[in-house]
Amino acid sequence: MSIPRSLLSVALAFSCVLLLVACGASSSSGPHSITLYSGQHEQTTTLLVHAFERATRIRVHVRSGDEAELGDQIAEEGGASPADVFYTENTPILEYLRERGLLAQVDASTLASVPRRYSSAEGDWVGVSARVSALVYNTSRLQPGELPGSILELAQPRWKGRVAFAPAETDFQPLVTSIAKLEGTATAERWLKGLAANATTYPDNETAVTQVNDGQSEVAPINHYYWYRLRAELGAAGTHSALHYFDHGDAGELVNVSGAAVLASSPAKPAAQRFLAFLVSAEGQRLLAHSHSYEYPLRPGAPLPAGLRSLSSISPAALTPAQLGDGRAALALEQKLGLL
Amino acid sequence: MSRLEVNGLVKGYGRREVLRGVDLDVPAGSLTAVLGLSGCGKTTLLRVIAGFERAEAGSVSLGGRTLDDGSTYVPPERRGIGYVPQEGALFPHLSVQDNVSFGLPRAERRGEAVHALLELVGIAPLARRLPHQLSGGEQQRVALARALARSPSALLLDEPFSSLDAGLRASLREEVHLLLRSQGVTTVLVTHDQEEALSMADVVAVLRDGVVVQQGEPAALYQRPSDELLARFLGAVNVLPASFSAGSAMTALGPLQLHDSEVPERGSGSVIVRPEQLEVRARASEEADPGEGVAGRVQQCRYYGHDALLEILPEDGIGIDPLLARVLGESALPAGTAVTVAARGPVSVLG
Amino acid sequence: MSTAAAHPRPAQRIAHARSGWRRWPLASGTGAAIATGLVLLPLVFLVVQAQRSGWGEVERLLLRHTVAVLLWNTVRLAAACTLLCAVLGVGAAWLVERTALPLRGLWRVLLVLPLGIPDFVVGFGWVSLDHGLHGYWAAVMVMTLSLYPLVYLPVATALASGDASLEEAARSLGTGRWRTFWRVTMRQVRPAVLGGCLLVTLALLAEYGAFEITQYRTFTVEIFTEFRLGFDAVGACVLSLVLVAIGLVVLAGELTLTGVRGQRSGPGVARPIARIGLGRMTAPVLIALATLAGVALGVPVYALCYWMIRGGSTTLPSASIVGALGHTAEFSAAAAAAATALSIPLAALSVRRRGRVTLLLERFAFVPMALPGLVVALGLVSFTVRYAISLYQSTLELVVAYAILFLPLALVAVRAAMGQAPASLEEVGRSLGCGPLTAWRRVTLPLIAPGLRAAFALVFISSATELTATLLLRPTGVDTLATQFWTYSTNFAYGAAAPYAALMVAISAVPAYLLSRRMTAGARRGSLR
Repeated sequence: MSIPRSLLSVALAFSCVLLLVACGASSSSGPHSITLYSGQHEQTTTLLVHAFERATRIRVHVRSGDEAELGDQIAEEGGASPADVFYTENTPILEYLRERGLLAQVDASTLASVPRRYSSAEGDWVGVSARVSALVYNTSRLQPGELPGSILELAQPRWKGRVAFAPAETDFQPLVTSIAKLEGTATAERWLKGLAANATTYPDNETAVTQVNDGQSEVAPINHYYWYRLRAELGAAGTHSALHYFDHGDAGELVNVSGAAVLASSPAKPAAQRFLAFLVSAEGQRLLAHSHSYEYPLRPGAPLPAGLRSLSSISPAALTPAQLGDGRAALALEQKLGLL
Repeated sequence: MSRLEVNGLVKGYGRREVLRGVDLDVPAGSLTAVLGLSGCGKTTLLRVIAGFERAEAGSVSLGGRTLDDGSTYVPPERRGIGYVPQEGALFPHLSVQDNVSFGLPRAERRGEAVHALLELVGIAPLARRLPHQLSGGEQQRVALARALARSPSALLLDEPFSSLDAGLRASLREEVHLLLRSQGVTTVLVTHDQEEALSMADVVAVLRDGVVVQQGEPAALYQRPSDELLARFLGAVNVLPASFSAGSAMTALGPLQLHDSEVPERGSGSVIVRPEQLEVRARASEEADPGEGVAGRVQQCRYYGHDALLEILPEDGIGIDPLLARVLGESALPAGTAVTVAARGPVSVLG
Repeated sequence: MSTAAAHPRPAQRIAHARSGWRRWPLASGTGAAIATGLVLLPLVFLVVQAQRSGWGEVERLLLRHTVAVLLWNTVRLAAACTLLCAVLGVGAAWLVERTALPLRGLWRVLLVLPLGIPDFVVGFGWVSLDHGLHGYWAAVMVMTLSLYPLVYLPVATALASGDASLEEAARSLGTGRWRTFWRVTMRQVRPAVLGGCLLVTLALLAEYGAFEITQYRTFTVEIFTEFRLGFDAVGACVLSLVLVAIGLVVLAGELTLTGVRGQRSGPGVARPIARIGLGRMTAPVLIALATLAGVALGVPVYALCYWMIRGGSTTLPSASIVGALGHTAEFSAAAAAAATALSIPLAALSVRRRGRVTLLLERFAFVPMALPGLVVALGLVSFTVRYAISLYQSTLELVVAYAILFLPLALVAVRAAMGQAPASLEEVGRSLGCGPLTAWRRVTLPLIAPGLRAAFALVFISSATELTATLLLRPTGVDTLATQFWTYSTNFAYGAAAPYAALMVAISAVPAYLLSRRMTAGARRGSLR
């Protein structure tokens, strides 16, 4: 044990800290750069951002994370938020920020690029891509004829012990909201109770869909893309499941939208608006279709990801994403029933 | 060679007052022992002198330079006072050589002076060892050498020999005594062992309940303690009631001469008689005439080899407590022996 | 006024007493104050949030059936894991340090290495090999296998430096070998066992990744879930208050068992401890240790290799893997340095000035470790956005978050080392002409250096695998190995995720390895004093 060595290590450590204090990296926004908070899948985001940077010479600083965490962060940051654009997988968090007056109006031309029903009614956010709720089923244990037409059937006794679901997933809440809005809160509560009695719960849809594929459960209500991604990872040989869509007009036939918004506090609104415009441009939507995220581009005429059934063949769901709101009533209902 | 002065020193921890106005005067070049029971504030006194603690009131000065008086405070490293704590407190990560040269400027750490010091203290062959490889006595030597290396103006020793076994303690004590004398460094030694204090020190100060109750040369302290408690603390003692007249004291053991300086006019009080001031003779039989002195019987004999302490019960009617007498080992008498006890002056009066 | 000289006036006394504080070097006091402030920050945030929501909301969130379930889940998991970690940690440490075990040097390293494998990688390893592995026992197994080194390390250190003469005395008094183990050996290492168990329990309370993977619902898992569904921090904060309460109960329990006075290390032994021969038990013991190491190390490593080779992900790790590695190393090293530095004044206070106040200060530093990284990060976000916007999402803020979360790991290591460096040595240094800082540098620093290195290594390992606070606080555009692993593994891209996990294991294995070598080496030297 020599003194110089221990001293050296301590001195080294302290200078390390000092160095870090000196160069606390912070990205600033301006006409030529924006900060993007993204709750979307990182690979998809990266693809779009690179294309945008090439096309516009505007630098995008990307902060990827869980959309709820990023959303709460924006709410906490308020007027001081470093973010210019918020791009999410789901709309409830955007509605939550809209209610707090933290979002700016999206340019009218951007909003016009996608069907009106997929964007905020007030024009505070624009829909970029969509996912459709569906039922994944194990093909060796069930025939297509045995599958339910309505999501409400999953609460019936005959499905006891055969269902997997993830009540804690952000994708599950909209289903509860949808049933509550279309069939009434009492029905939603009854349905949740019945489903909870029938089903095994899992922490996320990835696990639920894996369980069905492995035959541990027979069906699981999920968003369509989970199944497509699973199939991509496991290959056709490893896939023992398929997707089933609920009947037209059913509460379980829901379109969840991934959206984007410009923050009211952004000092770089023109650049931020250009990014939103790019997301729904022909180029942006083409990239989305080929990004292996298996989401539906929303711009009319955009190509369809390989293997997907067309969005128009699924009749417009009874509720628009904006009508689903921030989903917090569904959360309270789940908490009340002990699912959370 | 600097004189160390402590005046009216007050120091406490929280509500507990440990030092309550300590006055101590250590002559330049002397070895002064601070003697006291454990918990009397000895270590605190050393810590304030060393500068590890600050005085709440009072002052400390060394060679005329004020070290601490409430407004001035000189930190320990600038006092030039060496300190040898209990158990030595060697730096466990450093060799003997590095321990001893710790306080020296970098350039001098490997110099001749260090080696000479190691030789002087008798630990030169151990220079490369680590502290855990040393015996207790060796550790103390290293600690002493380390404190002396900087040629301090004063040296503080906190119970330096208390953890050593009896034989080693005695020889090391003697060696250190000679060493310090040869160096002529002003030294304060703290101890609870009165033998150590009396045998080593030029001056002994007795600390009790946070004040110095008496300070003086060992012999003076032993022969003329200021009170009974102190008298007993310094060694075994007989306290005899006495009435005084014309420079002598009348006691149950007959008239005893008083020390010159203390001649009460008249009246009555007590005198102290040390056990070695009693002469004990065996009587042929119970009936034999005690002659000059008091008849009694040996109740108990504690034999120490070189000497023995006899507890003697005086015969009825004299009305005093059992007497303690010290005789040479070869003159020890078994319990039950009939004896005659006489006393030799001078004795001192208890205040 | 003849009494004035001996007994100064009260006002004068107070002034002197106060100036005595100068003895306590300013730097040290400031350090302790900063550490305490940082530790209190997330706790204040929790209370403020809960208060803002109103009592009714707190009641609604706390008085529901789920909370009882979570409490039961959390408590029974913590109890089983802590107990198992204690048994495995003490057993393995005793075998390695006190018996004539073949290949001791190898076991010393192998048994510590699982510390370098992030909990969620262990969980990922097991679950990806067997999708059916879920629930209570899966969670208990995964957590035990990744946390037992936290008990093993301090106990091995204590056993290596233990006093054999006490055990010999017990044997000479007619106590059997087994009873001696319980009554003497265990008593000697009890503070080490309790300290390790405390860290295990606190880490369990805050764990998220491994339970998410093994699908076991604890308070922390629920805090994340409800936060992600409900967006605002109130629910998370209210549930976190329960975690704080559990954490305080655990801390109080550890304190009761250890005793307020603490253990002072004695002079120690000068001769080596005789190792017990294993005889016919050699083979079974070797098999048992090999099984432990194989399960704790082998399974996750095998799973990572399996996925790297067979993964077939459409997405391959990008070139950014080098950047992520660099950032992870940089942040973790800074956090380890910061936490170690902060732990020095706290440990010095609690060891050298042991009292109710200092004890309370030191104990409070343990509370944030029971909190999910998310909550601590939200507290920092809330604070910096309001009062220090220039630090917001800076590297410094992230490093501070790590330091707050993992300060207890550093504290435990430094506190133990501080016991080997009594203040009296520093005083001797001062009497030999060194100023306070020089005396500290030349005397105390070299003596506590092994503890500082251990603290650095422990915090480095934990920071390198931290995910949730990292997601919230990292500078925009900066990835770490943990965030990249998260990005890929939540998208089924196990093949792409595996290299990041492997790098995390590799980067943590280095300090874990050094830890295993240095901690016991330090203990042996310290014991010889």
